[in-house]
Amino acid sequence: MSHEEFIPLAERKHLREKQIKKHNIANILTHWFNAGAGALLVLTGLGILFSPRLGIVPDIWLEFVRNVFGGTANLITFHYTVGLIWMAVMTFNILVGFRKYFIPFARNRMMLDKDDIEWLKVKPLQMLGFVKDKPLPPQDAYNAGQKIYSYVVVVGALLIGFTGVIMTFHQLVPWPWLLQWALPVHFGAMGMIIAGWIIHVYMGAVFPEEKEAFFSMFTGKVSALYARLHHSKWYWRYVTEEAEWEDSVLEKGRQLQEEAAGAD
Amino acid sequence: MADKKRYGFVIDVERCIDCRACLVACRAENDVEIPYTRIWVRDLGLKGEFPELSRTYVPYNCMHCEEPPCVDVCTSGATYKDQETGLVLVDQDACIGCGFCVDACPYDARHLDKTRGVVDKCNACAQRVEMGRAPACVATCLGESRLFGDLNDPESDVSKALKEAKSVQRLVTEDVNPGPNIYYIHGDVMESGVLPREPRYTAAETFWRKLAIPAVAAGVGLSFLGQAAFFTKQLLEGEKEFEE
Repeated sequence: MSHEEFIPLAERKHLREKQIKKHNIANILTHWFNAGAGALLVLTGLGILFSPRLGIVPDIWLEFVRNVFGGTANLITFHYTVGLIWMAVMTFNILVGFRKYFIPFARNRMMLDKDDIEWLKVKPLQMLGFVKDKPLPPQDAYNAGQKIYSYVVVVGALLIGFTGVIMTFHQLVPWPWLLQWALPVHFGAMGMIIAGWIIHVYMGAVFPEEKEAFFSMFTGKVSALYARLHHSKWYWRYVTEEAEWEDSVLEKGRQLQEEAAGAD
Repeated sequence: MADKKRYGFVIDVERCIDCRACLVACRAENDVEIPYTRIWVRDLGLKGEFPELSRTYVPYNCMHCEEPPCVDVCTSGATYKDQETGLVLVDQDACIGCGFCVDACPYDARHLDKTRGVVDKCNACAQRVEMGRAPACVATCLGESRLFGDLNDPESDVSKALKEAKSVQRLVTEDVNPGPNIYYIHGDVMESGVLPREPRYTAAETFWRKLAIPAVAAGVGLSFLGQAAFFTKQLLEGEKEFEE
């Protein structure tokens, strides 16, 4: 995020109005489906944890969810049904969009490069108030922090899905130890995701400089100014590709004109 | 409104002849499949010297404790102490058969039914008790060794039997006393074979409680405090317009 970059006012205004596409519709829909299912699953999942020895969920919530769903068994049935739907939809999305969306997303947007490693060294120190004058390396469509969190989510989601299936189909599991360990692993993976999710929500929806990121999860678009200041590597690649495309169109147009002139 | 019930058993040890009709009745009433059982009769062995011999049998099932360690350890509350009857029950639709409670029970009165993937144990025939009948084991007991009723009701069979009893014992030790609701009368049952053990907690449960929960609490807490600090700063300094 090279915020200090000097851009003349007139150009700033122009860049502010120019919208460029950051998220495709597949990403947007998957994101909000994931958010909705996640909220339901976390709220009902915490409500299941009745054991006073664990003692992490207030009694009022434990009773509330049981009253809403009509008992522990119904609550658990709801929880794993939403979980199975979540897994089915996510798997379906990944498989259907494997070539068009999933592979490009993973390759172009999730891989860490040298700048990302540097960012990870500098950014935490800056947040604590050190090395303020050190410039941050340019970032791609997602910054290194977002990329790291995406790994946490992927690993966490796989663990949650795997242990969730084990507990849902417990009749088919012949080893009690597997069920016993599935419980804390399911819980721990959830906690890992939630810890990062708090930052995700704050940065995405509350933090003033990133506000565009929030609206982009509905419109799919960010302003060119935001892109240039926060995700410059991605922005310049985008601009280059656009310019190259325009050049190729121009070139083709000229050829057509010449052919038309030759045919006369 | 009537006081809360506290259902329990009173077992007259002198009257038990180890016929095990209670085991059969229990299996028939509750469809407990072989090799599992919800009820046992323990044999304390021959005592004394001929011709002064005695032998004590200790009928045994879930004690429906006042402070049941199995309920404390159950993740979801699938095992619970019924508020109205005081019985310790298992909601088998909610149970995933992890077996935390099987290890926790000091009386080993629970088992994991591997064919159904759930935990099973004595429910004091709640389905019969609800209709005003005695549990199958009590109804069938030939010597009337087994009695069942509300220990909070002074007029119940069990309360009367306890009042008239020459001796009353409960299976507790100095270290382990979860408040069992089976009272043994007219005999000495306090022997190591039937006395409770310390509740055991599985490695996974300990890991969850001692490691996973503190780690998650620390992670989520730090993360929350971090964003709260930035949010406070944002509120105090006012929002700088991004575009300027």
